[in-house]
Amino acid sequence: MLNQLTGYLSNQTETPGAAGNYVWALIYILIVFAGVSFFVMLMNWVERKALAHFQIRLGPMRVGPHGLLQPIADAVKLLTKEDIIPDGADKAIFWMAPVWVVLTGFTTLIVVPFGPTQAVTDMNIGILFMLGVSSLGVLGIIMAGWASNSHYPLMGSLRSSAQMVSYEVAMGLAIVSAIMMTSFTSGWDGAGTLSMVKIVEAQRIQGTWFVFKFFPLGFIAFAIFAVAMIAETNRAPFDLPEAESELVAGFHTEYSGLRWSLFMLAEYAGMFAVSSIAATLWLGGWLRPFPNWLAGSRWDLTFSLVPGILVILVGVAAFYNAVRMPKHPALRPQTIGLWALGVAIVMIGAMMLAPAVRVRIVDASWFVMKVGFFMYLYIWYRATFPRYRFDQLMKVGWKVLLPLALGVLVVTGVIGLAPELKDWLLKGAR
Amino acid sequence: MKVASLLRKIFMVDLLKGLRVTFKYQHPREIYTEQYPLERPVIAERYRGLPRMNVNPETGETLCISCDLCAKACPEHLIVVESERDPVTKRKVLKNYTFDISRCMFCGLCEEACSTDALELSQDYEIALYGRDNLILDLKRLESGPDTTEYTR
Amino acid sequence: MKELLENDRDFYGQEWNEVEKPSTYLDSNELILNMGPQHPSTHGVLRVILKLDGEKVLGTECVIGYLHRGVEKIGEHRTYTQFAPYVDRMDYVAAISNGLGYCQAVETLINVEAPPRAQYIRTILTELQRIASHQVWLGTHALDIGAMTPLFYTFRDREEILKVFEKYCGARLTTHAFRIGGCQWELYEGFEKDVKKLCDFIEPKFAEYEELLTTNRIWVERTKGVGILNGDDCKALGVTGPLLRAAGVKWDLRKAQPYAAYSKMDFEIPTGENGDTYDRYMVRIKELYQSLKIIRQAVDNIPDGPIMAKVPKVLKPPVGEIYHSIEAPKGELGYFIVSDGSLQPYRMRIRPPSFVNLQALDKMVRGLLVADVVAVIGTLDIVLGEVDR
Repeated sequence: MLNQLTGYLSNQTETPGAAGNYVWALIYILIVFAGVSFFVMLMNWVERKALAHFQIRLGPMRVGPHGLLQPIADAVKLLTKEDIIPDGADKAIFWMAPVWVVLTGFTTLIVVPFGPTQAVTDMNIGILFMLGVSSLGVLGIIMAGWASNSHYPLMGSLRSSAQMVSYEVAMGLAIVSAIMMTSFTSGWDGAGTLSMVKIVEAQRIQGTWFVFKFFPLGFIAFAIFAVAMIAETNRAPFDLPEAESELVAGFHTEYSGLRWSLFMLAEYAGMFAVSSIAATLWLGGWLRPFPNWLAGSRWDLTFSLVPGILVILVGVAAFYNAVRMPKHPALRPQTIGLWALGVAIVMIGAMMLAPAVRVRIVDASWFVMKVGFFMYLYIWYRATFPRYRFDQLMKVGWKVLLPLALGVLVVTGVIGLAPELKDWLLKGAR
Repeated sequence: MKVASLLRKIFMVDLLKGLRVTFKYQHPREIYTEQYPLERPVIAERYRGLPRMNVNPETGETLCISCDLCAKACPEHLIVVESERDPVTKRKVLKNYTFDISRCMFCGLCEEACSTDALELSQDYEIALYGRDNLILDLKRLESGPDTTEYTR
Repeated sequence: MKELLENDRDFYGQEWNEVEKPSTYLDSNELILNMGPQHPSTHGVLRVILKLDGEKVLGTECVIGYLHRGVEKIGEHRTYTQFAPYVDRMDYVAAISNGLGYCQAVETLINVEAPPRAQYIRTILTELQRIASHQVWLGTHALDIGAMTPLFYTFRDREEILKVFEKYCGARLTTHAFRIGGCQWELYEGFEKDVKKLCDFIEPKFAEYEELLTTNRIWVERTKGVGILNGDDCKALGVTGPLLRAAGVKWDLRKAQPYAAYSKMDFEIPTGENGDTYDRYMVRIKELYQSLKIIRQAVDNIPDGPIMAKVPKVLKPPVGEIYHSIEAPKGELGYFIVSDGSLQPYRMRIRPPSFVNLQALDKMVRGLLVADVVAVIGTLDIVLGEVDR
């Protein structure tokens, strides 16, 4: 076991799961779990602040400097709330539903590739695993609605699960067309792959992100997935089942305190998971932009400095805001905290620029930046669009996205096989 | 024109227009929040806030001549003017003046009815109290005028 | 009385709780659902009892009275001058219109006309209030349908209007701006400049609201064809205001029975075609632009002169009764005052537009889905302060 611990990092050629290295797999699991939990808390803050800025207001400002400690305050509040279980609710299922959704939500994350060897494991059915496990999560929602023993959560959970299931069809077809594009990699003999790491490898070998391949087919498939993933995670504009101004307040009506926070955790983890699918399949995963157009070691170096420089810019923004804090005596601890945070962030950014660290984290940084872009889109859509009514939502899923996805799939196949098709036709004509 | 509208539908032009509007408003200069109590709002001069009894700046005497017009004008009948006639000058002298804030709707009819400059609705809007005891203001409180609360946290 | 009830029945087809679901071979239970007084979307304390067949609404009943404050009874025990502040509190979103209607009604009763300068001031403030009221409507209606941000944009723009009100009369919402016989306050220094700056500031904002909503496919799908109320139904129910105009009937009291300075203003009456929610939205948006037009014309031409007519301090109108109505932002706001010659009116009856428009809810909502009920309540533009008084 000690061998596993020490020998791994020096010659890292595959993910710990694939190499059978249990110790490092466990370490990676802990890193992913802690990272995604931290990410969820960060997303809570970012969503409140970004949504507020879209709505020309400020968001949380008092708890911690610029509201940075607000997620912690919320977590403490939720943990200390009274645990109410409705009368007549099925206690076992009531307890199990949030656990189930969190379990499935986090299990999907073990195949997410943050780098060529930086995933917990690299199954050769990676994408299928992610889709399957996130479909299992729907069961948790049905359990939540059923166990609440109340009318409105049941209706909400049924609507929610119907919506998720219908959009999974369109999602699946869009994913299949991206998988099909992996089979056009030269040197692979027409064999595609379901493994997440190899999909990004295929994009690297082919020299293009799949969103730009066979333009506009890849882009249309990406657009279909982008719409379906929003409906999959029950976010605006497809958030009728959990809307506040509706009669049905959603499947998590009867949940309070820690149980509700588990649902929220699972929702954000689900958003992370589908965003990482989108980033891996279409946006080139951990690859830097323009992998083949601007090739060469100098460009490699320039692009690898970008994450560190961005982090340093965030630190500078923290300094700028610390300077602009009002001079009231009550705000002194906040100002000091913000200065300290700025210093910490700049130091982390400087560390990220050091070559030893840079080489290791550049892939993961690009991946996280792409996922962050999707998160921003989620918040932007929530701020802008009204809500679809449920029947209109289902109409979009079945009557618009599904035929479009089928069409893209067929056309991608035809175009991808065009050379062989031409040979076959000509051979047949002779 | 059918082609144009079809293209607009496919490329989701309407959705993109909405996205552009919200994106534009993220700029910090568009933020409209006033961070009270660090920034207090600007109050107009005619604002109808907490009432105040004015005094003669030189002598310190009240300007009220106990004409009782404010009490007659008030829709809620919440002003009570107690006066007594001074035997020497045969004029009314104000003894006590109570104003009930709990039922006042700050309509300003008393301010308009006042024949001198005595009663005036000031610009004080921070009139929240912890109990109901201090809701009937007497002459002393009315003459002291608004007092701004200093926030320490 | 019984005939009236039976006419109701004919009009709606059936009483709300006697409606039978259409019989199909798919048997589903009927459900009585309560959208209670506490609800984020009922714009106040309104209770709507829905009879549902699955998701479709079969009939509704509104229960009102949660905000009843006895304003009409109070009116019988206050003098005419003292009653004016109470009137603002009915439709608290558009207080200046309420005040205008009341003052004009009493002025007609005592046969006094406000001087021209006061008429122009009244017109400008009323049109500003119309813009503010429609902005509140737009923000809350969009919020009900799911778009969160137009609420903040409209309220931000409304703040500028409220600042003008505060500078003029001292209060933002319960303004008590007009008096019987004219206006109490002279225009403050810089009023014209402020209003012109406001108009220039606010006109591009209207275009932004439209960019966010008018062509947005989600908005159009949620509002087109939802809650249709045609012109005949409007007239039968007594519905007025933008609902009537969206149904195609070109009726606006500012043109039909001009009051204040409207006879000298040049503006149009926007109408719709189908009488659905989208048309009402478009009518109100166009009314915003028309109000701006009126304000711009009026602010350039304010005549000089007194602002208050000769009205006795102690007001004792002659014995008689009067009904006077104005075009409030929500519809026809009417005051029916019966005077018995004494200081206080004998009867002060107010015809609130929201109360009469709310009756149309049942007609509009039959056959729609539950999610549309919220949209229809929003498009009626009701304010419970007015409905309950």
